[in-house]
Amino acid sequence: MKTRVLQIAALVLAAITFTATFASAQLNSGAQPITLAANLSESLTVTLSASAVNFTLAAGSAANAGSTNITATTAWVLKPSRTAIGVYAYFASAAAALTDGAGDNIPSSDFFIADNAGASTALTATVPFGGALAGLQLANVPITAANRSATRTDAMAFNINLSTLPTLPAATYTGTLNIQAQATP
Amino acid sequence: MALKTAFLRTTSALILLGVVCVVPVKGQVLNSVARPISLQAVLPESLTVTLSASAVNFTLTPGSATNSGSTSITATTSWTLAPGLTPVRVYAFFANSASALTDGAGDNIPSADFQISDNGGAFRALVRTVPFGGTKAGLQLSSTPIRAANRSGSHTDTLNFNINLTALPNLPPATYTGTLTIQAQAL
Repeated sequence: MKTRVLQIAALVLAAITFTATFASAQLNSGAQPITLAANLSESLTVTLSASAVNFTLAAGSAANAGSTNITATTAWVLKPSRTAIGVYAYFASAAAALTDGAGDNIPSSDFFIADNAGASTALTATVPFGGALAGLQLANVPITAANRSATRTDAMAFNINLSTLPTLPAATYTGTLNIQAQATP
Repeated sequence: MALKTAFLRTTSALILLGVVCVVPVKGQVLNSVARPISLQAVLPESLTVTLSASAVNFTLTPGSATNSGSTSITATTSWTLAPGLTPVRVYAFFANSASALTDGAGDNIPSADFQISDNGGAFRALVRTVPFGGTKAGLQLSSTPIRAANRSGSHTDTLNFNINLTALPNLPPATYTGTLTIQAQAL
């Protein structure tokens, strides 16, 4: 009798064990990883409110203002490693910023820009772009975590000073001023 | 020996890696596209004459060769010229040689009896035909050659005036009026 009881108990225990084992045998697939890559590219752009300025010159006059102001908007999205943005205005040649094509020139030293109503400054510096001594740094923006993605505007007013060119002949003088930005390092 | 070789290789590799890492960083500035602004500056041609005064009076003496004007007048001629124009000439003239000055009643002083001394020079009558005014009623005061150095420049003519009445001994007493004009031309 005792033996019988033990056999029954053993069967019940085995049944319970089997049931438990069966119940816990859920089926899992292998984990399939998905690699994600989101690339926020660096960008640095300059846009201008206009692309032409005219001047009506008076011989020997220091004040020959441009027909319009131009606003340069510099926009950027930069890596954390960048520390500064420079915005530059420049000509290809210091000696002939504007020319009549017949050998008569207006040098960059007689071309002035007033940036954001500041002092009018001649283009006589050597900058990363353009000719030697033919440029002007309009702005230097330190880059921090707070402005890695931001914009800046430079409202430029133009003037040609002819006081150093008293014998400049009557003619139409043309040239190209470039605006360009650089993020460093 | 093998350990030393491995050390040297590793060191060399690290140095090269350092160079590779440094060089691109130095050149990795980010430039925007250059935005051009077209500039056009027009220096127009100009030629102007300004006078220091605009009236001269004379007190005449019948038959006298010397009847000086009450004042001298300085004519300042200023110009900005395109290359190729030369010279700048300044003229004085009347509209009519026969009646440079008139009393309005048929009595006239001809331009041949009106004289100008320019910048201290001799007095000369207005008896030339110049680009402006009447025939034989003018005088060229000056001619300035234009070169690269003076395409934009100026010139002054200081004018003294005289009316010579020796050729008009019978000129009746009256007030004679007239208009002398100063004008410049660039050819």
